[in-house]
Amino acid sequence: MIQFRDFSFRYREGADLVVRDINLTIPDGCFVGITGAAGSGKSTLTYAVNGIIPHCYPGDFYGEVVVEGLDTMEASLTDLSRLVGSVCQDIDSQMVATVVEDELLYGLENFAVPREEIPDRVTEALAAMGIADLRDRTIDSLSGGQKQKVAVASVLALRPQVLVLDEPTAELDPASSVAVFDLLARYAREHGTTVIVVEQKIALLSDYADMLVIVDGGRIRFADAPEAVLAHADELLALGVNVPRATTLVNTLADRGLYAGPTVRTVAGAVTAAKEVLA
Amino acid sequence: MIEFKNVSASYDGELAVLRDVSFTVNDGDFVAFVGTNGAGKSTTMRLVNGLLKPTAGEVLVDGVPTGALKTSELARRIGFLFQNPDRQICCATVREELLFGFRALGEDGPAAEARVDAVIERFGFSPDAEPFLLNRGTRQLLALASIIVLAPPVIVLDEPTTGLDFRECEKVMAVVRELNEQGTTVIMVCHDMEVVGDFADRVIAMTAGRVVADGPTFAVLRDPAVLAEAHILPPQITAIALALSDELAACPAPVAAANTVEAMADALAAAAPTSAATPAPAATPDRDGAGVPDELGPNRPGQTATPGRPAPAATPDSPDAEGVR
Amino acid sequence: MAKFLEYVPGTSFLHRMNPSVKLICAILFAIACFTTSNLVFLGVLLAGAVALAVGCGLGRETAGLTKAVFAFSLILAVVLLLTTPTGEPLIALPWGYLGTGSLLAALTAIARLEAAAIPLFLVFYVTRMSDITNSAVKQLHVPYKYAFTFTSTVHFIPVFMNDMAGIMEAQTARGVEFDGSLAKKLRLMMPLCVPLLVSSVRKTNSAAIAAEVRGFNLRTRASGYKDYPLRTEDYLALAACILILGAAIALAVTG
Repeated sequence: MIQFRDFSFRYREGADLVVRDINLTIPDGCFVGITGAAGSGKSTLTYAVNGIIPHCYPGDFYGEVVVEGLDTMEASLTDLSRLVGSVCQDIDSQMVATVVEDELLYGLENFAVPREEIPDRVTEALAAMGIADLRDRTIDSLSGGQKQKVAVASVLALRPQVLVLDEPTAELDPASSVAVFDLLARYAREHGTTVIVVEQKIALLSDYADMLVIVDGGRIRFADAPEAVLAHADELLALGVNVPRATTLVNTLADRGLYAGPTVRTVAGAVTAAKEVLA
Repeated sequence: MIEFKNVSASYDGELAVLRDVSFTVNDGDFVAFVGTNGAGKSTTMRLVNGLLKPTAGEVLVDGVPTGALKTSELARRIGFLFQNPDRQICCATVREELLFGFRALGEDGPAAEARVDAVIERFGFSPDAEPFLLNRGTRQLLALASIIVLAPPVIVLDEPTTGLDFRECEKVMAVVRELNEQGTTVIMVCHDMEVVGDFADRVIAMTAGRVVADGPTFAVLRDPAVLAEAHILPPQITAIALALSDELAACPAPVAAANTVEAMADALAAAAPTSAATPAPAATPDRDGAGVPDELGPNRPGQTATPGRPAPAATPDSPDAEGVR
Repeated sequence: MAKFLEYVPGTSFLHRMNPSVKLICAILFAIACFTTSNLVFLGVLLAGAVALAVGCGLGRETAGLTKAVFAFSLILAVVLLLTTPTGEPLIALPWGYLGTGSLLAALTAIARLEAAAIPLFLVFYVTRMSDITNSAVKQLHVPYKYAFTFTSTVHFIPVFMNDMAGIMEAQTARGVEFDGSLAKKLRLMMPLCVPLLVSSVRKTNSAAIAAEVRGFNLRTRASGYKDYPLRTEDYLALAACILILGAAIALAVTG
C-alpha cells in the first residue's frame, strides 16, 4: 500500500509548491495512471514514491508518504529502491550497459541477488517483456520500443513490489505503446505488482488503469476508476487533459438526451452506445 | 513543389531504409506521413530538406535537385521543426533565437527585426526570456516560431506534438493550420491519428521504407488494407463509423461517413428513432467550444434501417462530414 | 558501422580475452610506444596494432579512428618539423632550418601516436562496458565508483557526439553552412555548445539518479555476477606486451 498524507512539496530552487495537500491511498496490485497538463506536478508525485524526492531533489517536504510501510523521508533511497523499481523518462541516459543482458545484470549485481538466482531472473524478465531474443544484442542497435522494453525488463528483474514509470511511451508509435502497456499490465496482474504510470495518452491509460489520477496545479482533481473520471469530460478538457473522442461522442449523445447509459472510454463502448441510439 | 522520383536512401551505405519512393507535394498541401517507427518517415523528411541525399532517384524542390541547392538556399525554401526543440534552440534570449535564422542567412536588418517583433507579438513571447528556462511546450512553440519567422514556403514538422500536453498540442497545431490557410505547404510526421484526422488534407502511409497509400486523409484512414499494412489505427470516430457500417445490416450513410464527434452525433441524432421527440439542446458543449451548425446533420428521416439497403461503402470525401470542427 | 568507442559484438581472440588483461596490455603497449624513438620499431608496432585490429574484423572502425588521430598528430608533426633543426638542412627558415632530422622527428611523432592509440581504442570496441568495469573492480581492485564513473564517461562520448550531430543538423536546417574551412566550422560550432551543455547536464543528472535507484550505492567487489578467469592466451598476451616494452626500453638505452 502507498499512502500520501497531506503531502506538499516545493523544490529548493522553486518559489511555489509543485504539489499540495495530496491525500491518496493506492492499494497493493493497483494499476494507477497519472495524467495532467504539463507542469501540473504529475512527475513530482512519482518522485515522491520512489524516493527521488526528497533524497535526490531536496526541498520543503510537508506531510508524509509511506510506501509499503516505509516512510520515504526516513528510509534511505537504497531501501526504497528495493521496493520500488523506476523507469525514468529519458531511457537513453538510464542505460548503463552496451549489451541487453548486462543492462539487466546491473541492478541484480548491485542488490547482491544470489548468483544462482540471477540467470532465471534475467530470462524471466526478458520473457515478461517479450524480448528473449534480444539478450545478446547491443542496446545501440535497438528501436525505441525495444529499448523501452529493455528498460522495463531491467527493473522487473529486481522483482519490485511497486513499479514507477514516467511517460514510458512518449517516443513510441501507437502499436509499440500498446505493446508496452499490454506486457506491463500482464506482468503486474500475474505478480500482484503495484504500477504507477505517468502518461499523456489518456485513451491508452484508461484501457489499463484501475485508478486514474488527474493532477492540476499540483492538486489531485480526480482519483477514481477511469469511467468515473471520464464522466467529467468537460472539466477534464478545461484542465487541459485530453479525453478520448469515443467518450466525447457518448457524452454528447447523453447531453442531447439520446443516450442514458454509463460513460464509455473505448471505441467498442461507443459502438455499443451508438447501436442503442439507433435501435 | 516537392517531388520524389523513385527515391531510395540509406545511412552509411548499409541496408536501404527507403525503397523506390515517389510522390509529389503541391504548393499549399497539408500532408501527413503516418506509419510505425522505422517505416522511413523521418528519413523521408531528411531527404526533403537535403540533410540526406538519395542513393538512387531524385528529390526535387521547385524542380531543382536538393543536391544542387546550397544549405542556405534549402533553408530559405523549407523550414524544418525537429522533434526535439532543444537541438534547435541555441541563443541566450527568445529575441536572439528568432533573429538567429536571419543571421545564418545573412539577412539581418531592420526588416528582420520588424518580422521578429511581429512574431513575438503574435505568439505572446517575452523577448528577453531565456529559452532553456521555458517549459517544453513553449520551447516547441519557440522552435516553430524561429522557423516561421523566416516565412519559408514549405514547413516540415517531425512529430510536432510529441511530449506536449493537450493544450500545448492544440496551440502548436493552431499556428500550423493558420500558416497553411495562408498558403504555406505543410508536411508533417505524426503518430497521433486524431491530430492527423483533424488537420491534414492528405495522408501518405509508409511501411518498411515504402509508400503503401497516398490520398485524401480519410480515404487512406478508412482503407482496412492500408490500416493493417501500415499498423495504424484510425481516429476513434472514424473507427466507430467503420465498426458501425461493418456490424449493422443497414447503417445510415451519414453515420458511416462521419469522422468528427459533431458529424457523428448529428448523424446518430438524425437517424435515431426518437430523434423527432428530442430536439438537440441549443448549448451543447463540445471539445472546441465552437457551436455546431444545425444544417450539418443531413436530416433525412426515414432512412433508418431500410431493409435490404446495402451498407454504404466507406465514403471518404464527404466534405460535410469531415471539414467542420 | 559502430559508433565511436562503442562495443562491436564478436568472438575474435581479442573479444575473448580477459578485460583487465586487455586494458593492461594496451597500456603497456602505449608506454612502449612512448619509450622508443626508433622509427623502424615504431613502424613494426604500428603494423602489429593494425594487423590486430583487422584480425578482429574491426578494420573499418580502426580506419576511421586512425584518421582522427592522424589529424591530431599532424598538428604536432608540423610544430616539430618547424622547431627541430637537426640533420641535413633541406629548407632554410628565418629562425633556423628544416632538416632530415626534423622530418624524422615529425614522422616518429605520427607513428608513435597512431601505434599507441589503436590498441587503447580497440579495447573499447572489443569489450562490453560492464565487463571492463567489473573486471577492473574484481581483479585490479579499482574502487567500483571510479571504475563505473570512468566507463560511464566513455559510454557517454558517443551519446554526446550523437547529440552534437543532431544539433548541427538542426542548425543546418536553419541555414547555417558548416561546410567550409575548419576555422569557420569551429566558429559556427561555438554557440552550439550551449544546447549541447544543457542536454549533457540533463542527461548526466538523470543517469546518476537512474543508477542510484538501481542500487548503485550497494555495489561491492563481491557482487559481480560474472567471473573473469585468466587463461593461457591472457598470460601469453601479457608476456608479449612485457617483451615489447622491454625491447623498447633496451632500444632507448642502447640507441
